[in-house]
Amino acid sequence: MLFNSLPFLYLFLPITYFVFWRLTSKTRRYVWLAITGYVFYSFWNYKFCALMLFSTLVSYLAGLGLLRWQDPLRRRLCLVIPVTLDLALLGFFKYTNFVLTSVNGLSTWFGGQTQFATLDIVLPVGISFYTFHTVTYIVDSYQGRITPTKSFSAFASYVSLFPQLVAGPIVRFRQISDDLGKIDRAEETRDLDKAWSFFVMGMIKKVLIADTIGGIITPALASYTELTTLGAWLCVLGFAYQVYYDFGGYSDMAVGLGYMFGLRLPQNFNSPFQALNIADFWRRWHISMSSFFKDYVYIPLGGSRGSRWTASRNLMVTMLLAGLWHGANWPCVLWGGFIGLLLVVHGLIAPWWERMPSWAQRAGTFFLFVVSLAIFRSDSLTMIGGMVGLMFSWHPGPNLVGIEVLTAAILVGGALAHFGPNTFEMEHRWTPSYVTGFAALFGVCLFVLYGSAAAPFLYFQF
Amino acid sequence: MEASIRVKSRWAMGRVVPRLVLLACLGDVGMRLPRVDPWSFRGWEALSAYRSPAAPFEANRRYDKPDSYGDLAAMGNLPELRQYRPELFTTDALGFRNRADAGSRPPAAIVVGDSFVVGSGVSDDETVTSRLSALLGCPVYNSGGIDPDPDRILALARKLGLTRGLVVHQYAEDFEMPAAPSEGRRLYQRALAAMDPRIGALVGRVRGMLTVSPLQIASERALKGLEDGRLLPNRYVGRVVRGRLANGDPMLFLGYFFGKFYQKREVPTAYWAWLQKELRAGGLELAVVIVPSAYRVYRPFLVEPKPRPEAVDDYPGRVEEELRRAGIPALNLTPALSASAARRLPERGYLYWRDDIHWNAEGTEVAASAIRDGLRDQLRCRP
Repeated sequence: MLFNSLPFLYLFLPITYFVFWRLTSKTRRYVWLAITGYVFYSFWNYKFCALMLFSTLVSYLAGLGLLRWQDPLRRRLCLVIPVTLDLALLGFFKYTNFVLTSVNGLSTWFGGQTQFATLDIVLPVGISFYTFHTVTYIVDSYQGRITPTKSFSAFASYVSLFPQLVAGPIVRFRQISDDLGKIDRAEETRDLDKAWSFFVMGMIKKVLIADTIGGIITPALASYTELTTLGAWLCVLGFAYQVYYDFGGYSDMAVGLGYMFGLRLPQNFNSPFQALNIADFWRRWHISMSSFFKDYVYIPLGGSRGSRWTASRNLMVTMLLAGLWHGANWPCVLWGGFIGLLLVVHGLIAPWWERMPSWAQRAGTFFLFVVSLAIFRSDSLTMIGGMVGLMFSWHPGPNLVGIEVLTAAILVGGALAHFGPNTFEMEHRWTPSYVTGFAALFGVCLFVLYGSAAAPFLYFQF
Repeated sequence: MEASIRVKSRWAMGRVVPRLVLLACLGDVGMRLPRVDPWSFRGWEALSAYRSPAAPFEANRRYDKPDSYGDLAAMGNLPELRQYRPELFTTDALGFRNRADAGSRPPAAIVVGDSFVVGSGVSDDETVTSRLSALLGCPVYNSGGIDPDPDRILALARKLGLTRGLVVHQYAEDFEMPAAPSEGRRLYQRALAAMDPRIGALVGRVRGMLTVSPLQIASERALKGLEDGRLLPNRYVGRVVRGRLANGDPMLFLGYFFGKFYQKREVPTAYWAWLQKELRAGGLELAVVIVPSAYRVYRPFLVEPKPRPEAVDDYPGRVEEELRRAGIPALNLTPALSASAARRLPERGYLYWRDDIHWNAEGTEVAASAIRDGLRDQLRCRP
């Protein structure tokens, strides 16, 4: 089920909302949120609910163990066993076929005959996200940053909380435990306006901007060899705004849905296209993911301590893993490596970079990100070569179908992303005329949802 | 000041947007109450929307549209290639496409099959059964649109007073061949055959209201208008193949079938042998008529896309041959339709609609003549 679908808006959300606010005790509200999370998840594949339940149980028991035992060996086992299990499940479902095809490719490269058959594995939606939820819970409990909960229903509601279940934000337990602890005292109407404001803006971003751009560039990139230089640049530029408004829209909707149930989810995008440099960009883009990699990979590796070479190595390893997290394919790994390289180079040239006027820093950062998307959006190494070739050498030809609409969407989306405030910077106290305008745009979104199969969010595939 | 606060709280997002969602939901439900006829582009969709599970269409309905057009033009979102034509679509008390008095006299035969039998794209008096009735001078019952299931055919024959007679299974090669049903499926078919028409009508009405949304149709049409291949890419165009004939006329083909045309297919003789045995047990004989696809008939005249050079599998011919060998009367309509198509092409006459999977009135006329001649020994009027 998608947030941008009619069954969600007409059935799931109203039922979940009305029952939730009719329940008064903490436990009942936890149980209800957990149940609705599983119902929400089962719309993709009910069989994988068992996998999520298993992951939840293992992490919950590990938390209880960490609460009870103080001796280092047992505590270490409570850390290593569940994290290994969680990562093994993620590895199996997400990376098995990637490893097998890579081994087959290497074998062919070296003239070998060994070929492993790939397995028929379905990737459970959201596994990358809920695995990270449970991993952060266990690691934070082990390190004493949080006190593990004794309430299974509270923990289950945290893992399967439907607004953040399948595409984040990657909410850490400590970010939400206060609100979960006070869930029986939450006020129904306190944040309702803000909740709907976030939700409506997210829906508009997704349906009217991201999906419009996607409708034009997806078929064009499917036959990318026919693109002109202008077309290739427009497609990659369009993809930058598509992925921003798609995932930014999703995150806004998730935050809005959180508010509807008295829960404050963290900010995931902080005007990334206004970043002054690539390091600043990664502090603003998909914040919950980049901070996860910083706190749970980069810093444990040593972070920026030690020599320049060691710090650069840590950065590269972190970004290669972040690339791999985005997709089990070589273009994503290469993309992670490219971003890592940009971060390393930025570390070297930061003093020089900062002497440029701020508009040039912003433009340069955005340009580098757009170029990186030519790698990220490609399905294969061949396509990366083709796209880069098209972008950096002259290829004339007929215009893209829909070039006028794409240009308009890029201009509107670009103006808002580069110069406008983000949803967390707004007060969400709108005058009647603004409310009417947003409601009208939301009405258009509803009408569009009727006629087009609801487009999945791009980050579901990660 | 207070008035201003009241206005502001009335116009808060938390009040306006949930009410808008509720309004849209109620509007959607309200629009589902009347019939879907004004929203449909041809009879098939309008009359099958609220059909009983036991019938292909709603019973005793009449659908009249002066500007109906073809399914391929609709599927591919190609309004410029629509061929507008009037369509009168009438159903009888049993929910089949026949005149209201169709069951008053035992028919010469019952014709079962898919949309080619129903006559999608043509008016009531242009269906192949109507033309066959006219040629024979006695009724031929159109029971197109249901699975060719022996239990349902036998139940229908009993209702029509046909104790002994002929069942013609008209099989269009465009579609997947049916398989002998599982035991569970047979039980379901028997339950459908025995279903009370009033219960069937109620179930059909409820199911139609749940599955058919005029708001969805309106939205799809609006979006298709924008996705015209110029303003926005036409995401539907891949469903059809746009051909050009030697005389310069465009012709659309079903994309799904187009990809499969050159693959050699199995002839499921066992299915028809089983069907023949089951029908014989109830006193009915089976004959099979094979309808070629528009692409098979017009392939020799296509300049674009150029036909592939490899030899074409004569699937309809093989079906006919193997069925005859198995003792089942069979007739392949390909020779009759191909010859007629070749004769008419210079004058821009066609047997199939150029914007539709299906044949037109001229096609059904040629088919009916070929069936009358080919099944002369089996097709006899009842006294």
